[in-house]
Amino acid sequence: MSQTLAIVALTVQEALRRKLVAAFMGVSVALVVLSAWGFDRLSHSRSLSSGEVGAAVPQALVLFMFMFSFVVALSASTIASPAISAEIESGVLQSVATRPLHRAQILLGKWLGLGGVLTAYAAAVCALEFVVVDVVSGYTPPDPAGAFGYLLAEGLVLLTVGMLLSTRLSALATGVVAVALFGAAWLAGVVGTLGADFHVPALRQVDSVARYILPTDGLWHGTIYALEPRTIVANAIGHLSPFYASGPPGWAYLVWCGVWVLAALTASLVAFQRREL
Amino acid sequence: MSLGSWADPGAPGAEAVPGIAPGSPAAQAAPGPLPPPDAARPPPGSARSPAVHTLELAKSYRRTVALRGLSMTVARGEVFGFLGPNGAGKTTTVKLLLGLARPTGGEAMVLGAPAGHVESRRRVGYLPELFRFQHWLTAREVLTLHARLLQLPRRDRATADALATVGLAGRADTKVGTFSKGMQQRLGLAVALVGDPELVVLDEPTSALDPVGRHEVRAIVRSLRDRGATVFLNTHLLEEAEQVCDRVTVIDRGKAIATGTLEELLGQRTSVRLRVRGLPDGWWRAHADLGAWSVEGEWLRLAGAPPESVPELVAMVVGRGGRVDAVVPEHQTLEDRFLELLGAR
Repeated sequence: MSQTLAIVALTVQEALRRKLVAAFMGVSVALVVLSAWGFDRLSHSRSLSSGEVGAAVPQALVLFMFMFSFVVALSASTIASPAISAEIESGVLQSVATRPLHRAQILLGKWLGLGGVLTAYAAAVCALEFVVVDVVSGYTPPDPAGAFGYLLAEGLVLLTVGMLLSTRLSALATGVVAVALFGAAWLAGVVGTLGADFHVPALRQVDSVARYILPTDGLWHGTIYALEPRTIVANAIGHLSPFYASGPPGWAYLVWCGVWVLAALTASLVAFQRREL
Repeated sequence: MSLGSWADPGAPGAEAVPGIAPGSPAAQAAPGPLPPPDAARPPPGSARSPAVHTLELAKSYRRTVALRGLSMTVARGEVFGFLGPNGAGKTTTVKLLLGLARPTGGEAMVLGAPAGHVESRRRVGYLPELFRFQHWLTAREVLTLHARLLQLPRRDRATADALATVGLAGRADTKVGTFSKGMQQRLGLAVALVGDPELVVLDEPTSALDPVGRHEVRAIVRSLRDRGATVFLNTHLLEEAEQVCDRVTVIDRGKAIATGTLEELLGQRTSVRLRVRGLPDGWWRAHADLGAWSVEGEWLRLAGAPPESVPELVAMVVGRGGRVDAVVPEHQTLEDRFLELLGAR
């Protein structure tokens, strides 16, 4: 256990020392400040009625959070992609792997460390954004903790994908593939929405299947639902938009997401065990 | 084939030793007691077990054969040189011993446990050929990390001792990223030494060091032997091996081609070079009984002549009316022997 914690501490230390956290936080805080200006303009627009502002602010928040979910996904795949492969290529891992610990401890320690960094980062930016929107426009999402939770879960899925790919592919290839998978999963969600809008079952099926293969878009829809005013959901306003969710992910789906992460971590471990250093 | 009979270096399948006859003192020269062939396998970690023992160890990467049936034994407490040209399979062997790669055949035991086992790794220190460390950490932090992974009780002391041993005590709190290559190799050596391991595996430990650094590494290797540790020195620097190793194995194309102490490999291969005037050409043919004569320009070489025979040789030349301008007794160097072995492949 103490050896795993040593790897966790090393991973967090690396993220801090190499200014990874500082860089992501700097960019994110700048975006939050920019969004504050935007929400202020939107809330005080003379061309919109108070009802229109009440509908537009949550939608703008969803759009901002969509952008932020992309940043989280990019962060997760960026920090995970060099975790194994780059350290093997550079030779750093060889001296650690010859110590009396199992490779599972190295992998788990890295996953926990990077997961911790991602959690702290997502929590900080979510809290900051929600406070800013509340102060500037007076809107509080119905389930801010849920929104953060789904967003973080999405990030952790991407982190796990990155770790899995990193046991076999180079850091560059891992990053590219992970981001491409994230984009493909989101696109499958859009295709599913179009299928629902135009009553094409085959297109709806694409989304249903994709959500199980890579559950990022399914979790993203949980974030949307947690951010939407319940009046929008009750009246199905915007149900034709890909930025609308009619309900939260069910428990069975969340359990599937947990199983998915565990299975991907196990696959990472098997791949790492078999990898020759 | 099982390592249950691992103490039998002369068993079928054991390494070929060109130039050293099976059963000769050279072939049985592993220092330290080895259990008889029928002895039960000692418990893991027992001091009776050799530091390293491999039997028909093989490794292939798809169509490339890196190691083809390597059998060798490294006794406890010796400095063992593992020599060979580039691509001979040295680093592959080290990786197999440390569990960084898996063999495709044969078996290997390290400190009485299967190679790569957590228990054997607890007592092994390793300096990789490609020594790279977390460049955002200080030297002290790197060593503290390894002390934590080793679960050492007194980490501060262990890290301070290791840094002092390699001459980095004054740079303990400097970031590794600012270190020169030589300093990084010293740090790698400190990492290998932390926790006083029973077996220290050094893969090309002086490749980035200046002559002073090399001298210091040799001193460290000798001090390791003095405290009873085993050193497995993987190198292609023959002079280095000649100075510190008790025993060596020469490997080529994935197979051991010679094993023995330096005396066994080199001891009988002496010669005397003479520069003589005042005697007719070919005078030496009458003395073929003394050894194999050959002409090298103005010099004559008498292969096989021990250094003690110099006074007699000089007296013989003078007795025949000649003059000896110069006489040079020669020992074959490890490099000569190494090239000879590789030339005979």
